[in-house]
Amino acid sequence: MTDEKITQIPDAQAIAEGAEVTKEMAAAYTGSTMDTDKMWIIMGPQHPFSHGLWTLKICADGEIVTDADPIVGYLHRGWEKEVENRTYTKIIPMADRLCYAASMTYTHLFCMTCEKALGIDVPEKTKYIRIVADEINRLQSHLMWLASVGTDFGNYTVFLWSTREREYWMDMNVRLCGARLTTNYPRIGGVRNDVFDIDCDLPNDEDHSRFLRDLVRCCDHFDKALWEIVGLVDNNSTFMSRMLGTGIITREQCANLGITGPAARGTGIDFDIRRDNPYDNYDQVDFDVPVINSGDSYARYMVRVEEMFQCTKIIRQCVQKIKALGRSAPYRLKVPSKIPAGRTFCTLEDPRGESMMYLHSDGTDHPYRLKVRSPIFVNVSASKPLLEGCRIADVPIIMAMIDMCLGETDR
Amino acid sequence: MTMEYLEKYRDGRHKNWKDLWIVGPIFRTFKLLVKTTIHRPVTVLYPYEALWNPDNYRGRPALDFNKCIGCGMCAKMCVCNSIILVDTPDDEGKTVSRPQINIGRCSFCGYCAEYCPVDAMTVSPIVELAEFTRSDLIYGPRRLAYEHTTEGMKVKNEVTLLSDYLNGKGEIRHHFASIDRPELESAKCISCQKCKKVCPVDAIVMEEHGKNAKGRPILWPIINNETCVTCENCIEACPKDALHLKEVC
Repeated sequence: MTDEKITQIPDAQAIAEGAEVTKEMAAAYTGSTMDTDKMWIIMGPQHPFSHGLWTLKICADGEIVTDADPIVGYLHRGWEKEVENRTYTKIIPMADRLCYAASMTYTHLFCMTCEKALGIDVPEKTKYIRIVADEINRLQSHLMWLASVGTDFGNYTVFLWSTREREYWMDMNVRLCGARLTTNYPRIGGVRNDVFDIDCDLPNDEDHSRFLRDLVRCCDHFDKALWEIVGLVDNNSTFMSRMLGTGIITREQCANLGITGPAARGTGIDFDIRRDNPYDNYDQVDFDVPVINSGDSYARYMVRVEEMFQCTKIIRQCVQKIKALGRSAPYRLKVPSKIPAGRTFCTLEDPRGESMMYLHSDGTDHPYRLKVRSPIFVNVSASKPLLEGCRIADVPIIMAMIDMCLGETDR
Repeated sequence: MTMEYLEKYRDGRHKNWKDLWIVGPIFRTFKLLVKTTIHRPVTVLYPYEALWNPDNYRGRPALDFNKCIGCGMCAKMCVCNSIILVDTPDDEGKTVSRPQINIGRCSFCGYCAEYCPVDAMTVSPIVELAEFTRSDLIYGPRRLAYEHTTEGMKVKNEVTLLSDYLNGKGEIRHHFASIDRPELESAKCISCQKCKKVCPVDAIVMEEHGKNAKGRPILWPIINNETCVTCENCIEACPKDALHLKEVC
């Protein structure tokens, strides 16, 4: 182990007594007679690149990174143990707190798991509303990622423009659910409120919703605005030279490490749960899954940007379907508070990858065990293959393409 | 369906900016300069002007004191245990039990408003809640009042019964309207009348069913389905677990 290597310096006693460190002593420690020593640099837990509380230990030989070791767990709150004492209804707001950037997907996943355990098929309108809510969250999560990539590069304009566009989606979130980040919107068997009931103090037609109208306007505006933001990145030689050809991982490494989401699609793995194992009504929606074979940072960047364009397409189609179903369609079912004993397993495409929940219910109104599989916890294990051979200055950029979120990683 | 962005920028071979050498970037910069000069401001000067919030924005919970029946549903549903029931004198001087909220613990999930059977609790759009001491963050029942409650702040709480939905009916009804009701297992009942005492809406009357061996009357609770709000207080109060909730789905 590397830690032992550092502590067990030969002649440590002599050095402590004031002896000068000779070249031979250093050679015995590093195993080479070269003047450059390998050095373990600890980045984090409080470091501008880390986007949360985690530590990345990198072994640097001069300027070249030869090894990397991620350490997570600073944000461990005992989420999985905590939910065992709560009723299923009370877990929904807690599932929001798993990931602050895309809370809707985790709440959605929890409700879907419970519905699967109960054997319930939710109404059509609920499915489309949930897709809309998920895609809004995917958009604002990816925009937050783009903003943080901008600051990692030292380009403040990308950050400001991305957060500016993100505000429109946050406003949509507020109008849909009443909160910006911790949405608490899906319920077991439905959603909290109908999209037609929003702004009910304003004059609404019978089957006309101001929220849906504004949602389409947001999509139209965003499609133009995103071209401007990516123009800043793609036409900038600084960005390109940092991203093209850095942090390359192969398809095989990706599959062996269990990496999912945009990071996997950037290496040519053509897999998206929304298309290949559709939940809700994703099979009724027409959209493309971007896949690039090059496997470098730029590929992961492109996959995410193209996903944002696809999100607006999905939202537009779902708005049409919700309008066709109308106000009178049911959107929330009353379900039993107790879930029959059994084991249920459910997956969902998170903005960051494939998240899963495994529910072991024992017939009471609270779970016996609820296991969460976080995509980032798995993706960050690829630090070593990603960073091997790159320069120290490239570390923030390569790790930014994983889009760290510590809330779900440490739970 | 096409992926326009990927088609244009695939593999980073676009290099449009190099084709025009310096003309392209200058043109883009100038275009942006004009655009940023004439467009409206994006940010607001916060303490002097505030952002617009929709009516359904979930800020501090607000209570309509006289509408509240003191059933304790909000305290039961509270995710953070921030709500407790306290004894307060009402307008006529009678002591009633009303919720008190510790805003410092509140997670603004809106469950208290959602599960209130009489719509006494709502979530107000108030977000400026900073105080100097922690005790100032505890809102008593009177302090929770909010006068400008609009229709948009209320959660509609509409559900469709699962059985209705499976039969293709899909009728939307209120969450608390004639759905779940407590049911009595009369063999276990000991006629203690505790359920009657805790009922906040007086939906329980004790009905006599003969006399026991000692000659005392056997009293069984009869629950009025019209006034019951499904607060489950009687179920919790029952010392012999004679009452249980019959769920209708």
